[in-house]
Amino acid sequence: MRSRALGEAWRRGLEPAPYLYLAPALLFLGLFVYWPLLYNGWLSLHEWNLVSPDRRFVGLANFAALFQDPGFHRLLWQTLLYVLLALVGNFALPLLLALATLALPPRWQDLFQTLFFLPTVAAASVASLVWLYLYLPAVGPLAQLLRGLGVEAPEFLGDPAWALPAVALVANWKYLGFHYLVALAGIRALPREVLEAARVDGAEGWSLGRRVLLPLLAPTLVFLFLSTVTSALDYAFIPVDVMTQGGPFGTTSNLIYATYQEAFRFFRAGVAAAQAVLLVGIFAVFVVWQYRLLSRKDGYGPS
Amino acid sequence: MARRRAWLAALLGAAALFNLAPFLYQVGLSLAPSERIFSSPWPFMGFTLDHYRYVLEKLPMWQYAWNTLVFALGVSLGHLLLSLLAAYAFVRYRFPLQEALFALFLVSLMVPFVVTYLPSYLLVAKMGLLNTFPGLILPMLTAGYGVFLLRQHFRHFPREILEAALVDGADGFALLFRILAPASLPTLVALFLIALIGAWNQFVWPGLVANRPDMYVLTVAVQRFAGGEGGSAWGPLMAASVIATLPAFLLFLLFRRVVLETFMEGGVRA
Repeated sequence: MRSRALGEAWRRGLEPAPYLYLAPALLFLGLFVYWPLLYNGWLSLHEWNLVSPDRRFVGLANFAALFQDPGFHRLLWQTLLYVLLALVGNFALPLLLALATLALPPRWQDLFQTLFFLPTVAAASVASLVWLYLYLPAVGPLAQLLRGLGVEAPEFLGDPAWALPAVALVANWKYLGFHYLVALAGIRALPREVLEAARVDGAEGWSLGRRVLLPLLAPTLVFLFLSTVTSALDYAFIPVDVMTQGGPFGTTSNLIYATYQEAFRFFRAGVAAAQAVLLVGIFAVFVVWQYRLLSRKDGYGPS
Repeated sequence: MARRRAWLAALLGAAALFNLAPFLYQVGLSLAPSERIFSSPWPFMGFTLDHYRYVLEKLPMWQYAWNTLVFALGVSLGHLLLSLLAAYAFVRYRFPLQEALFALFLVSLMVPFVVTYLPSYLLVAKMGLLNTFPGLILPMLTAGYGVFLLRQHFRHFPREILEAALVDGADGFALLFRILAPASLPTLVALFLIALIGAWNQFVWPGLVANRPDMYVLTVAVQRFAGGEGGSAWGPLMAASVIATLPAFLLFLLFRRVVLETFMEGGVRA
């Protein structure tokens, strides 16, 4: 680990200089992240339709209404489902694929790295349109292939039982490559000598994995876990918007999509802001956790 | 051992094929004669360029591509410049509130976009910037990712070189633009490309702010086409979607090594 202490010559900078260098980036951050955060808090206490000049102060009524609404409880449950499915598709699966990849010669590793990463480069909205075709009832390729196997395909996006997993699959597919890359980088960075030493000591297979690999890999696993959890809803947003708009019967909506709909479809700014505030509250826990990880200086984090 | 490797390679190959299958269908459909679409469950059902011809004649694709290019270049160049300056401040200087200010950048990465879009939209509308490039670009210039990535990269830069330059009298902009930036060129290129591809693929914000047809970016245009006449015309729709996707794919494939390495650097690095 490089020392963070700076040399003497290093320290004599003009005092206002760092702030001047930071000013432009901070300006944008303030205008388009932190001001909106505060403004949201204020809006959440009001009732407003985005156009009328008067915003009625309603106190915590927006929050009270949400907590009493069974539809909102269902929304929370669906939100959790998206996160759980992301843990399968964007945490467990990329890890397994990365472990398998690393058993191959370097040239093959390069190839698979590129192949698995490609969907990350495609526009989510455009890719979702392709999946709309793949999922078409009766005539779509999936339905046709299943029929060939003697199985009658469900209406993937029209059946409330299938729609959420079908949409989540698209989100997980789209971002698998990124998480796979993070997993690869984490495993590659493991100190080779330790692994070799353990192997010489007779640790093998499962026990090598559990007793040596797992503790060494813990930082990568935690990082991957947290970024999976905090990004799952963002990732699902566009597939939901393009493929189902939250339907059928709201079964593919989640907290982020519903917030967007309240704001830009139903023009209920107060309700949208209240949901956004709750979202921020839930995220804060993970954000603090992830922040502490990222800013650690003991080699745990990436700095 | 070799046997196990062959099995793993075959397994990964199959997984990669599944992973890429949607693109095969995308390209296959865009080339399939209309009457052959749905004729089989496999992606390639014949060959014609009619759909591309149709889309390029019927839709102002060049206009959309131009809009997308201006938007994506504005966002990526702006992101690069802002994060270059900010990351430099964090590495070159020690100053009060340093950690807190850096935290603002890190935390901004994890704020869900849906939380900031409504107030940002209202702000842009109030400034009269709906359906303009500044309205499209400026709110996308929150440079958290770049600041994080470049600060990390700069910190691994050999300190001796910087201190020698400082002794030689190179400080401020000179130190940044003559020494630090040129030496970090691959990372800067990668950051630029990551931001460029990301902006090229943006859909939600441009869809909100640029909703007048002559300001559509490609993703939005393809979407609106799907919602209208293209909804059942899979051939033309997929041809348009291939045109929208291809530039980002080509850029990535051309620069994949440096882009992938930088992505990994942004992940966990011990």
